[in-house]
Amino acid sequence: MITLDTLTKRFGSLTAVDALSLAIEPGEVFGLLGPNGAGKSTTIAMTVGLLRPDSGTVSVGGGDPADAQVRALLGVAPQALAIYDELSARENIQFFGSLYGLSGKDRARRADELLELVGLTDRAADRVKGFSGGMKRRVNLACALVHDPKAVLLDEPTAGVDPQSRHAIFEIVRTLRDQGRTIVYTTHYMEEAQKLCARVGIIDKGRLLAMDTVDALIAQHGGQSVVRIERGETQERVQTAEPLAVLQKALAAGDATGVHVERPDLETVFLNLTGRSLRD
Amino acid sequence: MNEIWALALKDLKLLVRDKAGLFFTFFFPVLYAIFFGTIFGGMGGGGGGSGETAIVVVDQDGTDASREFAAALDADSRLAVTPMPDRAGAEEAVKKGQKTAFIVIPEGFGSVSLFRGEPMKLIVGVDPSRQAEGGLIQGLITAKAYERLQSSFMNADSAREMTRDALDEIAQTDDLNPLQKGILNTFLGSLDTFLEQAPDAGVIGGGDGGGDDGGDGGDSAGGGAAAFNPIEIESVELLADESGEGPSPYAITFPQGIIWGIMGCASGFGISLVTERNKGTLTRLRTAPLGRSRVLLGKGLACFMTTIGVAAMLLVIATVGFGVRPGSVPLLAVAVFSVAVAFVGIMMLLSTVGKTEAAAGGIGWAVMLVFAMLGGGMLPLAFMPAWMAPVSHISPVKWSILAMEGAIWRGFAPADMALPCGILLAVGLIGFALGARLFDWNEH
Repeated sequence: MITLDTLTKRFGSLTAVDALSLAIEPGEVFGLLGPNGAGKSTTIAMTVGLLRPDSGTVSVGGGDPADAQVRALLGVAPQALAIYDELSARENIQFFGSLYGLSGKDRARRADELLELVGLTDRAADRVKGFSGGMKRRVNLACALVHDPKAVLLDEPTAGVDPQSRHAIFEIVRTLRDQGRTIVYTTHYMEEAQKLCARVGIIDKGRLLAMDTVDALIAQHGGQSVVRIERGETQERVQTAEPLAVLQKALAAGDATGVHVERPDLETVFLNLTGRSLRD
Repeated sequence: MNEIWALALKDLKLLVRDKAGLFFTFFFPVLYAIFFGTIFGGMGGGGGGSGETAIVVVDQDGTDASREFAAALDADSRLAVTPMPDRAGAEEAVKKGQKTAFIVIPEGFGSVSLFRGEPMKLIVGVDPSRQAEGGLIQGLITAKAYERLQSSFMNADSAREMTRDALDEIAQTDDLNPLQKGILNTFLGSLDTFLEQAPDAGVIGGGDGGGDDGGDGGDSAGGGAAAFNPIEIESVELLADESGEGPSPYAITFPQGIIWGIMGCASGFGISLVTERNKGTLTRLRTAPLGRSRVLLGKGLACFMTTIGVAAMLLVIATVGFGVRPGSVPLLAVAVFSVAVAFVGIMMLLSTVGKTEAAAGGIGWAVMLVFAMLGGGMLPLAFMPAWMAPVSHISPVKWSILAMEGAIWRGFAPADMALPCGILLAVGLIGFALGARLFDWNEH
């Protein structure tokens, strides 16, 4: 659905994206994971045709996103809350629908559907300026979906939202996935990528460091699990590729008062790949 | 086109919901026009300049006397005199606001006989928006006439010539009885002899301290007879309507009020472009299948429609509430259209100058205020020094006011509208194209 081939973008002496290549399949939820400033938003901007790459190519559904009709295949929920505070939730959705040539009837129908999807039907007529950050995020997301795009690019969709809205956004992403839409999900929260994404690309300083399923990434770059065995006042840490065997052995000995398994995660993967934490 | 319309409609909704923006766009200009209209109404018209007043002089007489009078006007530091050969051209110059007034020196000016109590006649027309300067001009003309009268009697040769002319006329006329003729012949003959023997042929009383100011003799002339005024000014009511009256003060101030509203629109929409860019909504709009030009055209259309709305609202108020009667509604529509186009271009340019809303707003209003000051939107141009007149040409405000005044009360013909409207359209189109090119989308 989306193919990036050795994309490079420089701003002066800064290389924001450096020879980045990836291919996202139709219906896939793909996570682009990296710290702030890694080049995720620049990659999104090139994917939707807002920025021209210095080198490399972008293909969306086989076409160039610089072409308006190709761009219409995409729905974008930018990181910045790009909605109008003085308009109501419904007016925002309908306005963006009008930019895609939807008729008045279709705009009204889509607004109803999307307001229900994002859980804001009862606040449809309220101006967005009175909404919480999480509610605004949901309106932002609804506006990206108004024209029923085949692929949705969500740039840090949970930035600055409360846990309840975050959970609601996760549910919306799962619904979109179940509808068969292709989703590109950028985040610097590894647990979100782990929960939602079939595959994840890890990006840092504009370069794609690794790309695979979450399990495969952990297996390749996460290192071994750590099993902590507590015996009264003492504690033993065992690094192992076979945590189950270590557990069985500790329990069989009969002197363990507690056991904990610390499995490697994407944070560990990032740490191992870059020597830095995702939140550094 | 539907997308551009949707963008414009969105901006109009946002404007309507912004109470402060709404006040400065729609209500402040009304207050401005009413306030200054009332003040100027009390003053009897705008103007009252501190610099040179630009006038046109048409010498239809072509005598030494008329040339001397025109030269006397030209020599006055308070007047900037432009001679013109015909009255129609002079009237046009005043109607178009190029000159404050015209003075026609009609045929017969030089042959007026002051001995017969005939006043010198002049025809004067003053720009209705410069009535205070009109008063100044009439005062100066009267002063020049008295100076001429005085110099006629102070100069022995001139006085003798007039005396002999008078003696010739007395000899030829049948209107006087023999007694009257005898008295006048005796008096004027004695005067002629006196002037012939004057010690300093040239200037009577010339020499040391000879009272060349004329003392107070002039004041006492007449002794019981009706006071003699050496000048008779025929005032031409320029740009009069059917009732014969000139434009009301509100006809003069409402265009200025409209300009203030339109400047508010242009500034507001310029700032909103910067706001949208910084907030990210412009970038989002670009992710829709819209080109940059369409996004900007949508903003421009909203600005244009608001501008037209402000102008229409103020013109309706002026017409219904203040008795302003536009001379030509179609030409007024052309003028308002041109003004709106110009300020859409200016809006686009202003949006390129500031990175933040505060900077764009500050710089935008600074530019607008300079335009207003130079173009007569703040103070009538008449209050400004003469050197400001050519400088005012760079201000779109000047051309905007001129175009609207032209259609409302200056009586412009379509050909007269071509210059201001052409300049405004050029400003709009060039400004929009340049602004669109320079606008920083900040998409990185």
